[in-house]
Amino acid sequence: MGNSISKTLGKLFGSREMKILMLGLDNAGKTTILYKLKLNKIKTSTPTVGFNVETVSYKNVKFNMWDVGGQERLRPLWRHYFPATTALIFVIDSSDTERLNEAKEELYSIISEKEMENVVLLVWANKQDLKNAMKPQEISDFLQLSENLKNQLWCVIGSNALSGQGLLEGLSWISNNTSKK
Amino acid sequence: MSHGVYLGDTPVRRPGISTNPLMRKIQRACRMTLPEPDIALNLDVADYINEKQGATAHDATTTIVKLINSRDTHTAVFALSLLDVLVKNCGYPIHLQISRKDFLNELVKRFPEHPPMRYSKVQRLILTAIEEWYQTVSKHSPYKDDMTYIRDMRRLLKYKGYVLPKIQAEDLAVMRPTDQLKSVSEIQKEQEIAQAAKLEELIRSGKPDDLREANKLMKVMAGFKEDNMVNAKQSINTELNKLKRKADLLNEMLNTSTEADLQNNETVEELYSALKTSQPKFQKIIEEEHEDDDLVQSLLKFNDAINQLIEKYALLKIGNREAAERINPANLNDVTNNISQTGGALANEINLIDFDDDTGAASPAPASSSAGSSNNNSNSDPLIDLLGDLNISSTPITSTNTTNNNQFLSSEVDGGISLDSTVPPSSSNTVPISASSGDPFDLLSDFSSPNVSTPTANLSAPTATTTSPIITTPSATANSSVRANVSKSAKIQIDVLVSREDNSTIKIKTLFSNSSPDLVKDFVYSMAVPKSFNLKLQPQSSSTLAAFTNEGVHQNALVENAVRENLEKKPLKIKWKATYNINSNPVEETAIFQLPVV
Repeated sequence: MGNSISKTLGKLFGSREMKILMLGLDNAGKTTILYKLKLNKIKTSTPTVGFNVETVSYKNVKFNMWDVGGQERLRPLWRHYFPATTALIFVIDSSDTERLNEAKEELYSIISEKEMENVVLLVWANKQDLKNAMKPQEISDFLQLSENLKNQLWCVIGSNALSGQGLLEGLSWISNNTSKK
Repeated sequence: MSHGVYLGDTPVRRPGISTNPLMRKIQRACRMTLPEPDIALNLDVADYINEKQGATAHDATTTIVKLINSRDTHTAVFALSLLDVLVKNCGYPIHLQISRKDFLNELVKRFPEHPPMRYSKVQRLILTAIEEWYQTVSKHSPYKDDMTYIRDMRRLLKYKGYVLPKIQAEDLAVMRPTDQLKSVSEIQKEQEIAQAAKLEELIRSGKPDDLREANKLMKVMAGFKEDNMVNAKQSINTELNKLKRKADLLNEMLNTSTEADLQNNETVEELYSALKTSQPKFQKIIEEEHEDDDLVQSLLKFNDAINQLIEKYALLKIGNREAAERINPANLNDVTNNISQTGGALANEINLIDFDDDTGAASPAPASSSAGSSNNNSNSDPLIDLLGDLNISSTPITSTNTTNNNQFLSSEVDGGISLDSTVPPSSSNTVPISASSGDPFDLLSDFSSPNVSTPTANLSAPTATTTSPIITTPSATANSSVRANVSKSAKIQIDVLVSREDNSTIKIKTLFSNSSPDLVKDFVYSMAVPKSFNLKLQPQSSSTLAAFTNEGVHQNALVENAVRENLEKKPLKIKWKATYNINSNPVEETAIFQLPVV
């Protein structure tokens, strides 16, 4: 509600603001990504118990980025962060092939929620710097998004939180694909 | 090198803006064309919010407050009545919303700086609503700390010179916190809903302070479930103590009042219904907390005490004062005291089981030692027990445990009285007896009235006296049987044929009928009598009852030590329990039945 007002106002000044929800299994690198974007620094972080929220401005867009802890017992609480979300960023540890299926299940359980049916979905296939990391294309195939997501815009981008590779691409993809809203 | 952007193959379209069902429902409930507020539509919105939770409470209140401020009085009045329904039916999530500063400011947006000479209808309704919320939500809600803005808004209005209407007490009663007993899982559910609503509100507001609090709250929600658990248990104890006071009060009132008093006594009615409605909750709590032995036992006993009170009340209502006076749940205090204690409850329970009557049972220690040995003797020959010669009516109660099949086991479980709880602490030689005291008769121990509570009624000497009057002349009234209905539920009808075998023995033939079109399987029927009597239950003829069978299964039982004169003074009460499966749904029926005197 309030979001839409600020959005209209924002349009007048050529800037926009949107709520981005960043989720994913624990140890996927969400918090590292957040602070890399915010401070351009690597903050070694302990597992997030709770959430972090920062505003990242990029190309006239203010991204309110919510990074919610991914530990198993925090996952049931994710849904409380759904309202008014414009874009969902799902972060995957591309080297953790063992838990890829778990990640897939969590992702589908999020986007099957009614409140999330209108969000755009960005998957960051993170930790691309690691040797055994799966390629974004492989992750994309594994997630089977093209088969299952008919009404949602989605995109898988490889990223490396340490170097910052892929992060700005992601934000600009989100920005480009939500501007019509 | 491996970074890239991948788009799905199929071109994706944004779905059209789906009209939000909540908004639609609200608009329907507030549309101008309605002749008056439509309760059904309003409740529909409330149900929707209760079901969906999440952002619905917030969205609903913001939409409603807009409607309240609409230029059309009709719509505004409907919106206010809808809001009223939501406040009364949706609990904390809505309360949290109406106590938001933004919401309250919006609500009084059209109030002029200085109060007008006459309030408009909408203004009057808004003032009433705020006063109502102040009197209820912001004063009595368990989360009233979250609702301080209601108080502030009321203060502000008063300061500006607005007069807040006086609210009728009845209107407030709806929103008072209910003193209802809730099980742990229910309390947790409520807590979860409240915490979730709070968390979402904090996230929505997004102010730094709120975010900090949200982070804290999230940790609580995710990590400290045990904490919540302890709280839940505490609040169960609080509620139980309240119930105990109610039970005490009811007992007192029943003792002192006459029938006429009772006919239209609201207080008694209220206490009665409070106790009665709490009983299903006991079951639920016991199911959930079956690991907490102390709690379960206390609950079972308390439940028994309530059963007695209910029966007493029923008897008084039909004017049977004499019978009612015999029911005296004297152990009420002991029972309920135990509830609040977690440890050391056992010592008290000894008292409450052994000394349930005011008279008679006061000197168990010497009696129990002698009875202990005699009991051992008779026990040593199980054959005698098995033969169950009626004249040797000295068969100790323990024999029922050995002769009867596992049907008793089920009722033992039902009784939930563990062995050690009844061992008198001083005498070691009573151990074999205490084994018998583990049987379900203890449940009914309170029924033994003062006049039968000669040492027979005393648990610790179950058979000592019955040995002497064995050789009695057979009764002349041997074979006249009396028929009575025990229970008639939707599926199962239970009747008994009661006849006297001899002076001290009654034969009970229980007949089971299935009046439903479904097959009743795994039918198990068990009975228990007060411990001053001796029950011998024979196996039932079958454990399945075909559809529409009339008296298809029967079961014989003998009750010993049932002397007619005593029964006339104090009718024999039988606690029965029937469990069965129908359409593979397990059903359990249980009640207390008063045997006709034969």
